[in-house]
Amino acid sequence: MAQDGQTPPGLYGGGGHMHTPIAADAPPRRGAGTGVRGVLRDNLFKDTKNSILTVLFGAVILFVLIKTFNYVFITARWEVIYNGPLEFYMVGKDFRRTGISYEMLWAGIYTAVLAMGIGTGLGYNEESPPMRLGARLAMIGGPLVGIVFILSMTRTITPTLLTAGAGGVLWVGGQLGRRMPPVVRRRSGWILLALTFLAFGLITNFTPSNIDEFGGLLLTIVVAFAGVSLSFPVGVIMALARRSTFPLIRPLAVGYIELIRGVPLISLLFMGQFAIRFLFPPDANIPGPIFRAIIMITLFSGAYVAEVVRGGLQSVPAGQIEAGKALGLSPFTITRQIVLPQALRNSIPALIGQFISLLKDVSLLVIIGLQELLGIVDVVLARPEFVNQGYVPEAYAFVGTIYWTLCFSMSRAAQRLETRLGVGTR
Amino acid sequence: MRKHWTLRLLAVLFSIALLATACGDDDSSDDATPDDTTGTGGDSDDDDTGGDDDDTVDLVQDAGDTIQTIIDRGVLKCGVNGQLLGFSNVDADGNYTGLDVDYCRAVAAALLDDPDAVEYTDLTAETRFTALQSGDIDVLIRNGTWTSSRDGALGLQWAATTFYDGAGMLVNSDSGFGSVADMDGTIICVQTGTTTEINLEIYFDNLGISYEPLNVADEAAVTSNFSSGACDGYVTDKSGLASFKATYDGDVTILDDTMSKEPLGPATREGDDDFFDVVQWTVFATFNAEEFGIDSTNVQDFVDSDNGAIAKFLNDEESGLAFPTTDWAVRIIEAVGNYQEIYDRNIGPLGIPEGVNQLYTTGGILYGPPVN
Repeated sequence: MAQDGQTPPGLYGGGGHMHTPIAADAPPRRGAGTGVRGVLRDNLFKDTKNSILTVLFGAVILFVLIKTFNYVFITARWEVIYNGPLEFYMVGKDFRRTGISYEMLWAGIYTAVLAMGIGTGLGYNEESPPMRLGARLAMIGGPLVGIVFILSMTRTITPTLLTAGAGGVLWVGGQLGRRMPPVVRRRSGWILLALTFLAFGLITNFTPSNIDEFGGLLLTIVVAFAGVSLSFPVGVIMALARRSTFPLIRPLAVGYIELIRGVPLISLLFMGQFAIRFLFPPDANIPGPIFRAIIMITLFSGAYVAEVVRGGLQSVPAGQIEAGKALGLSPFTITRQIVLPQALRNSIPALIGQFISLLKDVSLLVIIGLQELLGIVDVVLARPEFVNQGYVPEAYAFVGTIYWTLCFSMSRAAQRLETRLGVGTR
Repeated sequence: MRKHWTLRLLAVLFSIALLATACGDDDSSDDATPDDTTGTGGDSDDDDTGGDDDDTVDLVQDAGDTIQTIIDRGVLKCGVNGQLLGFSNVDADGNYTGLDVDYCRAVAAALLDDPDAVEYTDLTAETRFTALQSGDIDVLIRNGTWTSSRDGALGLQWAATTFYDGAGMLVNSDSGFGSVADMDGTIICVQTGTTTEINLEIYFDNLGISYEPLNVADEAAVTSNFSSGACDGYVTDKSGLASFKATYDGDVTILDDTMSKEPLGPATREGDDDFFDVVQWTVFATFNAEEFGIDSTNVQDFVDSDNGAIAKFLNDEESGLAFPTTDWAVRIIEAVGNYQEIYDRNIGPLGIPEGVNQLYTTGGILYGPPVN
């Protein structure tokens, strides 16, 4: 994290032969002292005030570090994680009931990782500036610490090997995506879609209703992934609909967006879970609780995505559309080929913020009795061997680390995507 | 040309949307018609009395034939706490155990002949009644207190009590509090959305002393608040306090005061009396079995008993209760045993004194009506 302040200039510039190497917002480099001592003096001990602040904050940081180290390695009783319940945190308490083998689950995870790798590989282009070592470390280092911490709770070597294998699969996917011949590349969307469905099929043993037995991290990721990938198209369509000049489409879109944005997610989830039954006859076959939750989260997030995308749409100059018209392109082609690519590129930072917030919103499922990563903590803490013994800090620290690892990875991956697409530089 | 094509597409979409809305309207009005009429009737009744049958009809999903629904579905949907040791919690293998869970299993055994055919839903104190009203679950066995408003205004029906409890006060042993009367001006941890909240206020009010409530969401939060000294006392049902005391690290005492009556038992939706009877008599069967000396190990020896009362109990051909078979009591006892067995298996290990939770023959208040 320390090099964070220095990475943006490296990320945005640094050797790309298309762009100017330094972004406009890069801080000018000050104090070109020589050697370690020179750098220290110029940056930390320049004058008395500066030195006092350095010593003061240095002491605070040192104190926090020592306390953290002491907690993690000495006082914390991690048996509430590794001594049995780890399975609950990862896949929930009912996963065994589905009869899905862990081999099958890992096959599904590998398929999903392969799809992610291909996706990142496709985004690669020769023109994008290469990453500096510092940026690369910051991107990989943080999540790596999180993953090592999580894996240190396992009792056999197998999960570690499998996770390392997943890294390999990600790399293979990236290479595949890069080297894809243009003919295949044109249909890459379908390939990714097929892989995603295959992954979902493997994870649920090709019986979607199995998802209702999921819990823990698995549930969080499945719901968040479904929410992100479904709310994106919903949001784009709603954003376009809101700009439509057609008399009925626009009010409908505005109604949907304003209605959903005006209601807390908890009340939507609650409605979808319990109140919806009032609308159906008692023996009606309505989707299981997790599907209902996914629908509600999609509707909720879709409204926010729509507004984000609308912001992106407005940033596309009118001249672009006029140019398209002048070329005789149809409105559909103009939107698809000219407006949307630019609008979506400009929306990336806000979109990622929305998706990170969606991932954490999934924890609200605990209100409606679904035990995702955060809710499963209560179940573990009610087990006879852990109940009322003050294991709360350890359990939440562990879960918090997982959340942080996920969110930080998302944020960094998005930053990388921004760099590749040149957001903010052209 | 292209523009026309787009317009035509939009027009088609628009008409599909209109059609869908129209159909949707039709469906909902069909379903809603009977409800709407009772709803309006209920509204006008609101002025004179609250809580009669008409008022609650539109609050609760039409109960329908719950028993047939359960048998067709092949599984009983049971709402439980899921996080309360002794009543319902999940063990290391992901299986539910506890007193409430055993009654879910007993109902499933009676109706489906399979105590494992239960789908458990973990419910919070806030969501439990809505889940039952809306029909998301068939029966709620979640250490819920039977009160008049829950029986009346909420549109629920409470079967025989399976555990008699009462709110108590837990304090640190070195705090010096001998009874609740000593606790003027203290901070009390209490769970939100429970009857305990109200009872605590009434009890302190009657004593003429004040307190400051610290609302907590679950027991895990109590543990941290209590160990950090954020609250001086913790109020919940005495069974909960006993399990807390048994597992908590520090030295704590449960004061003698019993601050309320908390009869805990299963609840069903109002309006399906057959299913309510099934749940009710499932509970009674565990009382009666204990009284007859029948337990899960020896029930088969009693099937051909000479004792007329026992014979009728185990092969009920006359009562007309909605159980699918006449040997329902045998199914229940084989699945979960009699009340004493259920108690010893779940509550006993927590070290909670039985108190009134034993048969009337041994000084308790559990009394099963005769099967006759």
